[in-house]
Amino acid sequence: MYLAQSFLHSLIAALIVDTALIAWKIEAPVMRQRFRLLVLIVPILSFPVYQFLSPDRSSALFRLGALFDISRWFSLELWGMFPVGALFLLVLAFTAVLFVMQEMLPIARHTLSPEDGVLEGAVPEPESRVTRALESLPGQKPDVFIIDDEEFVMFSSTSKKAAIYLSGGLVERLTIDELRAAIAHEIGHIHRSRRPVMVVLFLIRVIMFYNPIVLMEFRRIVQEEEKICDDVAAALTGNRTALAGALRKFYFTEEGEERTQMMNTAPSLRDRIEEYSHTLLIEDRISRLEEPSDPRTKGSVVFFIVLATILAVNYYLV
Amino acid sequence: MKQTLGGMLLFVMMIAVLVGILQVLNWIPSAVQDGALQKYDSIDELRSHLKIGTVYAPAYFPRSVQWPPSLVAAQTRPYPAIVTEFARSDAPGETILVITQTALPHPPLAEKLLLAAVRETVRFPFKGREALLEAGVCRNDEPCSRMSWHEGAFRLSLVMRSSPAELVRIAESMIVSQPGGSLTR
Repeated sequence: MYLAQSFLHSLIAALIVDTALIAWKIEAPVMRQRFRLLVLIVPILSFPVYQFLSPDRSSALFRLGALFDISRWFSLELWGMFPVGALFLLVLAFTAVLFVMQEMLPIARHTLSPEDGVLEGAVPEPESRVTRALESLPGQKPDVFIIDDEEFVMFSSTSKKAAIYLSGGLVERLTIDELRAAIAHEIGHIHRSRRPVMVVLFLIRVIMFYNPIVLMEFRRIVQEEEKICDDVAAALTGNRTALAGALRKFYFTEEGEERTQMMNTAPSLRDRIEEYSHTLLIEDRISRLEEPSDPRTKGSVVFFIVLATILAVNYYLV
Repeated sequence: MKQTLGGMLLFVMMIAVLVGILQVLNWIPSAVQDGALQKYDSIDELRSHLKIGTVYAPAYFPRSVQWPPSLVAAQTRPYPAIVTEFARSDAPGETILVITQTALPHPPLAEKLLLAAVRETVRFPFKGREALLEAGVCRNDEPCSRMSWHEGAFRLSLVMRSSPAELVRIAESMIVSQPGGSLTR
């Protein structure tokens, strides 16, 4: 019953949050991410809390008066032989397998890899464009290393000694403003990765490994995280269009094709769908950066209205 | 402020639509397939609608229990089960007795009355069957008792906000003489 209700509660929470984001035109990624966190956190606690506050909630009388009783669907038989409940369990099992394959195995492989932590790169020359770009950024700066690679590569390690890695190919193609914006974006990731909330978020993700709604919402939160780091970069550099230019060069060729499409083998349908959604995300990030920024991040009243609505509606979903 | 109020109006409208959709989705299973948990006006109506062989009901009620039942609900899917609730005669909004009849070996439908703590448990012969009687307290430390036994293909369970003595008398009135017999008031 916990599995069924946590799924149902997260589905309704996701719908209510999306409704609120549309109704109040909430665009700031920090706020959007805060709202989306509700979809992850509320379903973990809602069922036990509701049961504690109102043990009658599972009684036949309550179920008869409920807004939606999922057990009515579970006992429904498709074509007179296949219960919907079994189909639901299959969906949960598929989500759990997806979670293990796409999220846990890569982490396990990375952790067990003997090359873990050995990242080789050269320190940029004192007068190089990378050093100049880094020097013009305010605040504490991480180490930056140049990797000998002609492809476009950029990432940061967020361990105790955080560092940013850039490929030679990328350094060559970006202007100094674009380099500064790209480095500032990675600094944003490094700073935000130090917050305990990100660890808590991942733990929640692990607890709800079976929940497909949480899987999707977690990915949307990660996408909002990219936009938050875009805003951090824009705030550090004061130049939004430079980051837009860097993103365009990073993900698209001069002909406008996505760089990841330039592979020798034919991509599978799944790859194409993933590429398509990835392209949409990048295009969304670029257009956001090219539009005038909306610094409004207020919405605490709306946040509590949404939280109260989720709690009230979910109470009547059993 | 104007934007917040406009957003509020749109949000309320969209939530109202969501609630409406949930209600329709809740109704669909009963529309396409019989047997979902459903309320009935009386035990007789339940008998005429559902194909549950025997519906057990007590012939004796103490004065504290109001007739007719405040709730009669039953399902045949995923398994046959009936729940009947009775209100206190001096407080019609308060449930005093809950009877569940569940096809074996399935778990009974969740009851409105729950024993928060069981203080004494006894197994005893009951008209040729073996019954389990539990005495304890419900919420607010109110004395409560529960009695259950197997009756043919069903498990019968009675929970009452009272001492076990009254409960046993009610249970006895549900059995005529032969196992599997039934009574209605």
